[in-house]
Amino acid sequence: MRTRGIILLLLAFLGLVDTLYLGIKRGKPVPCSITTGCEEVLNSEFSTVGGIPISWFGFAFYLSVFSAAAFAVFSEDDRLLRWTFWPALAGFLISIGLVGVQAFILHAYCQYCLGSAILTTLIFFVSPKPSFGRNLPDN
Amino acid sequence: MANILQAGHEECKYFLGSFGYYLGLMPTSKTAPLVVIILAVLAAGGIAIFMSRQGSSANDAADASSAVGQTARVRGAADAKISLVEYGDYQCPTCGQYHPILQELLARYPGKVKLEFHHFPLVQMHSNAMAAAIAAESAGDQGKFWEMHDLLFEHQRQWGDLRNPSPNPEAVFLQFALQLGLDSNKFMQSMRSPETRDRVLADVRRGNPIVKGTPTFVLDGQVLPNLPNLEWFVDYVERQLGTTASKSEK
Repeated sequence: MRTRGIILLLLAFLGLVDTLYLGIKRGKPVPCSITTGCEEVLNSEFSTVGGIPISWFGFAFYLSVFSAAAFAVFSEDDRLLRWTFWPALAGFLISIGLVGVQAFILHAYCQYCLGSAILTTLIFFVSPKPSFGRNLPDN
Repeated sequence: MANILQAGHEECKYFLGSFGYYLGLMPTSKTAPLVVIILAVLAAGGIAIFMSRQGSSANDAADASSAVGQTARVRGAADAKISLVEYGDYQCPTCGQYHPILQELLARYPGKVKLEFHHFPLVQMHSNAMAAAIAAESAGDQGKFWEMHDLLFEHQRQWGDLRNPSPNPEAVFLQFALQLGLDSNKFMQSMRSPETRDRVLADVRRGNPIVKGTPTFVLDGQVLPNLPNLEWFVDYVERQLGTTASKSEK
């Protein structure tokens, strides 16, 4: 669990940097060195939910994963970490949707958004899977 | 007895839930995760700020107010005494209102005043501003930047409210290009070229340290804090020309 925690700490930290960067650059031109179309993606109607930029939802997600992993690594308390599977699953599915929007609707890609999708996917695979039925009474 | 106390403590931890436990009954040694979380957020914020400032360094600030930028389009005599730099957005109504004012200023002082236009499309507010800037650059590739610049401002309402993808503002820009006698294939190639977009973005990067809104004017290296009217510009030019004339007389 400790190794998973350390990996999740690193992944979530990268996610924090990525989402904070996009938060700071909101409304400003973002250098798009790997892909083309950052402007289109980041200023599209899909870039906000209820007026809140998606990057801030991502920030909240990475912060929660980082916090859970920090408690697991530094306090050897993995109770929070055992719950990260569910937000990670939600993040993974949302990321698939957002990459789909970039590929099929906007026809433009944003490297920071793709990076976040990769991080979310890795977090989903690394986060501990719930052990269904482990606590069921033996019959 | 010790075991009972220990069991009670564990139960307490369980029922208070993780947050209540960590925030309320947290032994000193358990503060480590919170410290790590706070430090990580600060570090991530620091890295993000550092990354966001890349490309808008002090050099760019100097560049922004300098007379000649790499992608500048200059109207008027290159050796004109008075240099006016505009950071503008083709879809911004105020920039549209300034268009005839600046034309009047240049017409009144031929050879004395030059205008340098830099793109600063406010993409969040103006959905077609980026495409318009690219259209002006694309026309510039065939030597008709200012002609397209004029058409874009003069017919701002014709294309400004169109929503991409349908109806497409590009169709209007292509119509302008044909009106200017441009090669439509070359024009569309330029419109689609990432290099054209990069030129617009280079302008935006250059303007970022100084531009608070559009238009932003830099007059003889000084960023104007307010938007002056034609009389103010005329007064400034007269004073500068007068000063220069009296200096040369001496």
